[in-house]
Amino acid sequence: MTLSSSATADHIYATGLRNQWHPVVPSHFVAPGGMRKVTALGEQWLLFRRSDGALSMLADRCPHRGAPLSLGKHLGDRVACWYHGVEVEPDGTVSSVPGLPGCSLEGKKLVTSLPVREVAGAILAYFGDEEHPEPAELTPPEPLTDPDVDAFLCYAEWNSPWRYAVENLLDPMHGAFLHHDSHTMFDGDTTAKFRIRETARGYFFEKTDQRGVNFDWVELCRTGVDWVDLSIPYPPSAGPGGPFGIVGMVCPVDERRSGVFFWRYRRVEDWQRASWRFLYRTLIEQRHWDVLEQDRVMLEAMPADADQRENLYQHDLGVVRLRRLYRAEAETQSTAGA
Amino acid sequence: MTDTWPYLDVHQSRTHEPTPYEYKLAATLEEVYTREGHELADVVRGLNARQVHASDGSPWTEESFRAEMNRLGA
Repeated sequence: MTLSSSATADHIYATGLRNQWHPVVPSHFVAPGGMRKVTALGEQWLLFRRSDGALSMLADRCPHRGAPLSLGKHLGDRVACWYHGVEVEPDGTVSSVPGLPGCSLEGKKLVTSLPVREVAGAILAYFGDEEHPEPAELTPPEPLTDPDVDAFLCYAEWNSPWRYAVENLLDPMHGAFLHHDSHTMFDGDTTAKFRIRETARGYFFEKTDQRGVNFDWVELCRTGVDWVDLSIPYPPSAGPGGPFGIVGMVCPVDERRSGVFFWRYRRVEDWQRASWRFLYRTLIEQRHWDVLEQDRVMLEAMPADADQRENLYQHDLGVVRLRRLYRAEAETQSTAGA
Repeated sequence: MTDTWPYLDVHQSRTHEPTPYEYKLAATLEEVYTREGHELADVVRGLNARQVHASDGSPWTEESFRAEMNRLGA
């Protein structure tokens, strides 16, 4: 059964919160007229795109015998299971059972179909449980919808639990150490005091004594999808336009893997915008990637019980807050059907 | 249908491998931004002073630099 509301809190905590939107993969992973198998929230899914661009997301499971639809054939407006030819429409309705025309499966909506939206080059899907099939309101991150902001998406797949990837973003202090040898985070004090500042959509976790030098603050935003916003200064070599920002999202793939989405954005226009885009493609993207690899190497090397045997200090308030939030929601969601 | 894990691709923004001209222009531009500043006039002067010219060999003007950036950064 897909995204059951009887899942345990531990399972939800490990595989991703329900009843909200999550990023899945970049839009270009599913070409017009194509399909792609993906794993998200510990379940198997099929992304299916018609030639006119319309996208749908189905449970990767034929309603007949459970064969993966992703092994089937793209019929333009439907997918046909390879095993017995059962045809399924983008909304999950069985349109035809070729082996037994008139079979009672026909016309029934037997395959879970998730609401999808595409935001700034990424596919987002709403993962409701049985009790909450209607999508939650989604407000995309404003840096990705503001016409005065220019952004490049970087997507990567990590062998790390989704929550470690989010916690890493709610831990700005790692910038001064893990990323000390980088083009953007070499500067700033290696000691700091932090505070949490509540907002209507989440909270800031920020240094009280330094701003605009390193990775000094982060805002967790919960706007139907969970994302973080942060800002990092560029060296003068990046040209005019000030710091670059990052909108970060994480796809909980399964208990051990995650897909990370980082939009590097900058508020620039005219020739300054063009100059940044040119430098980004030619030289800066590689350096950003090298920084991201430092995160991946560290997170993938973390032991499985890392969060069970910790000794936290003041810098970890942002992480503690995040865990409380997510744990409480996992508990609530696990009893939603009780 | 490709379904390989993990996807780890350094370059996701490029439409092509930069040409030697583009690499040289980018590297010089970074040096000019660092040493001369961020004003358009300073940037054009800095590139010309380093003899790093447009692809047709002519010295940069503000107009030609702006047009080339718009082409390369589209």
